[in-house]
Amino acid sequence: MVSTDRTTPSRLAAVRSRAAGVADAIGARGAFLATCCVLLVVFYYPVGTVLVAAFTRGGDPSLAPLWATLTDPFYFGALAGTLADPAGVPGGLVAWVEAGFPAVRTGLFGFTAYLALLGTAGAVAVGLPGAYVLARYEFRGRETIRSLTVVPFVLPAIMVAVGFTTMFGTNGALNDVLGLLGLRVDVAFGLPIVVAALTFYNAPLVTRFVVAAAETVDVRAVETARTLGAPRWRAVLDVVVPQLLPSFLAGVLLVFVFDFMAFPIVLALGGLRLATVEVWIYSLASDLRLGEAASLAVLEAAVTLALTYVYLRAERRGGRDTAAASVPRVPLVGPPSAGRLLALAYAGVALVLYVGPLASMVAESLTRGGSLSAANYAFLLAQQLGSGGARPTVAVSNSLLFAVGAVALAVPMGVSVAVVTGGGGRLRRVTGALLMAPLAVSGVVTGIGLLRGLVFGIDILGYHLSVTGPVAIVAAHAVGGYPFVVRNVAPLLARVEDDLVAAARTLGAGPARAFRDVTLPLVAPGVVAGAAFAFAISVGEFNATIVLARDGASYTMPVALERYLSNPSVGPYLGPAAAMGTVLLVVTAASFVVVERLGGRWGR
Amino acid sequence: MSLELADVERAYGDAVALRGVDLTVRDGEFFTLVGPSGCGKTTTLRCIAGLETPDAGAVRFDGTDVSGVPPEDRNVGVVFQHYALFPTMTVRENVAYGLRFDPPAGESVEERVDDLLALVDLTGMGERDPDELSGGQRQRVALARALAPAPDVLLLDEPLSALDARLRDELRLELKRVQRELGVTTVYVTHDQAEALAVSDRLAVMNDGRVAQVGDPESVYENPETRFVAAFLGENNCLDGRAVGGETRGSLVRVGDASFTVAGDYRGAVTCCIRPESLDVNASHNRFEARVAESEFLGDGYRVHFDWNGRSVVARLDDAPTGRVTLGFDPDDAVVLER
Repeated sequence: MVSTDRTTPSRLAAVRSRAAGVADAIGARGAFLATCCVLLVVFYYPVGTVLVAAFTRGGDPSLAPLWATLTDPFYFGALAGTLADPAGVPGGLVAWVEAGFPAVRTGLFGFTAYLALLGTAGAVAVGLPGAYVLARYEFRGRETIRSLTVVPFVLPAIMVAVGFTTMFGTNGALNDVLGLLGLRVDVAFGLPIVVAALTFYNAPLVTRFVVAAAETVDVRAVETARTLGAPRWRAVLDVVVPQLLPSFLAGVLLVFVFDFMAFPIVLALGGLRLATVEVWIYSLASDLRLGEAASLAVLEAAVTLALTYVYLRAERRGGRDTAAASVPRVPLVGPPSAGRLLALAYAGVALVLYVGPLASMVAESLTRGGSLSAANYAFLLAQQLGSGGARPTVAVSNSLLFAVGAVALAVPMGVSVAVVTGGGGRLRRVTGALLMAPLAVSGVVTGIGLLRGLVFGIDILGYHLSVTGPVAIVAAHAVGGYPFVVRNVAPLLARVEDDLVAAARTLGAGPARAFRDVTLPLVAPGVVAGAAFAFAISVGEFNATIVLARDGASYTMPVALERYLSNPSVGPYLGPAAAMGTVLLVVTAASFVVVERLGGRWGR
Repeated sequence: MSLELADVERAYGDAVALRGVDLTVRDGEFFTLVGPSGCGKTTTLRCIAGLETPDAGAVRFDGTDVSGVPPEDRNVGVVFQHYALFPTMTVRENVAYGLRFDPPAGESVEERVDDLLALVDLTGMGERDPDELSGGQRQRVALARALAPAPDVLLLDEPLSALDARLRDELRLELKRVQRELGVTTVYVTHDQAEALAVSDRLAVMNDGRVAQVGDPESVYENPETRFVAAFLGENNCLDGRAVGGETRGSLVRVGDASFTVAGDYRGAVTCCIRPESLDVNASHNRFEARVAESEFLGDGYRVHFDWNGRSVVARLDDAPTGRVTLGFDPDDAVVLER
């Protein structure tokens, strides 16, 4: 056919002209190179030093450190023994059977996987019914709730920890309520509360994945199945479920990865008693056992990257097109039916899980000694903590200042990366993926890298270079936030017709001018949404900050929060922590409103 | 402003778009590039605009090589296929955009924009947003915007293809009127041969990255030089045969079992091209019998498809015959191409 002959040159033409037209614009290449330099300094170089540390011993390349970690039963339990002495496996198995199947030692990785599994199970248990309600029922505020499911993603984990403590803690809101019935529970610290918090975080992710997939199901496919003789349940099983499954599995995998790498939640609510790999790496790094931390980090990265790869494959299989006619929703309000009652029951559970902790935190911040009081906020303004070094006012102003700095850095980084890696081509895709790596590498690993590479400094040509404090923190926050600018800007940029820029050019505008006049206004909503994201990410960032902030002078709100929680000796801790958590909540919520107004995309 | 393309080549990797294009466009003429999809006509236009850089060859404006001159400095006006109106600007701002870089002499920007909106019959629509306009109105805005900075060359890339048929005819006339009024050198790209025949002062038929034939519409239609041009412009019955020459009035061409007399002296392998309107049931020459396969009513007559010993032949007839019919054509009406 003639028409297919044409597609090749015209598609290539589009790619070429975008590459030549837009990339020349704004001196995007210059900004892009600057971005690469920032990434190199605050991401690739630091993470690289961790890799190098994991693969060397005494300066020589060696697998010994990795092997030592891999064969340490503390980390890998029974698997470590298997690796260290494969010949002993059959004998060991016999002994194990003879002993009557005693509990197998799973090691730190085993425990982490166990915790992640529990968290994932929680996320599915809460997220899947939520997806059902959102996909099946129509009710007022449905859209709002659907957008609200993105909020937990950017809520600072440490703030969530405060919320859970005020809600489920020994003297928390839950016990206050249960106390009226003469009951009490004690889940303040330990496995249940950690799992609950992980669920809080990740259930919305499952919901989002499944609802998004459900909206692509074409009602006509279901109707076709019905007309071909399938009963309703059968049509759902044969047509709908297979369409939801890839997205559901992708969501579950992503949740597992997030749970596996979860750090602040586990540290704050579980402490070292519930140490996961990530927490242990942090603990090793705090004790300056960086070599051991590095090999552990590499093994952790191997696990999470493998899972991320599987996730990406699963995600690709999920359809992305929106259905021409999606399955109609049923009104939620109506004559009582089993489905409606269950939906209401679910709403109650969701309310306790989501609104409970945040409301308890706000309530806690506004009370002292059982009565309404602004004392906690007064504390934030006035009180300077002693030896802990966490000065509340400094932490608040640092957070805002760093966030502004991070946004100022992340926006040009993100826009230039979106411009340069836009279009097609394998090289661009690979570059794009490499530049998005900060999303996939655990914060603690980046943090250790920053510590080794930047804080301790390096010697180059006789000069000792060391970057620390605010500059390093802002750069690290920008690196964490800029992928969100890319993700918000790139889709809008891809929709800008090449001919628009071409039209501006033929009318007399130079490349930079055409970008400013034509392209920029069209991608502006994405830029602002990305900026709001970067702001929220920076305000909530914990992992890298706690490594880079060597003293109270550069603590941010999340770091200060953690200090209150982990060190009750510095004073009345929960009230001020809740107050600061509330401030964090307000700042994050404001960013959310900006994003939602501008139709930005979170998460995916 | 006259234009000249000399041996222009352009490839995208392995895909060759232009294989050496030579063209001259005279000052003030309405010149059309017509050809099937993928023939390189749009690439040629973009090379003139400076939106594409030729791999080889030269583009000259009034004899001056413009290689390396960016599009913003070429003083061309381009109307794109899908309008390409700036969605974040009003109609007025769209039209005024080019005037930011090239303010009009002797009148204000406001006046200039008003004049142009009047020219394209959109007076009073200046404050609308592009998405509030119909397709035809958007295309008029695009034309006004391209003309605002008084370009030396107007380049139109399939400007009517996104519109429905009736509107297309209407706008085609208007385009021609505006072009006459301004006398601006115009290059028009279309895949629609009827449109090309209707509007052009001269046209170039393009095929596979090359110019197949250049001329005014009548001469190219009546005297195609290649089988491709014969079949592409209008409808044609192209019958392969062997010319044996020797007739008093011309040559004898054998096609299958039949022999036709054609004007001119030919020998060897040839293609006889006979327009459907040249075939007639009452013709006294070159008669052959064919079976009616299908008839289509066109309003002013019928297009009748015949099966002639396995060859398909199309004729434009006043009535729709059935069964077997004897057709014929005048020897002067056949265009003979040597193969």
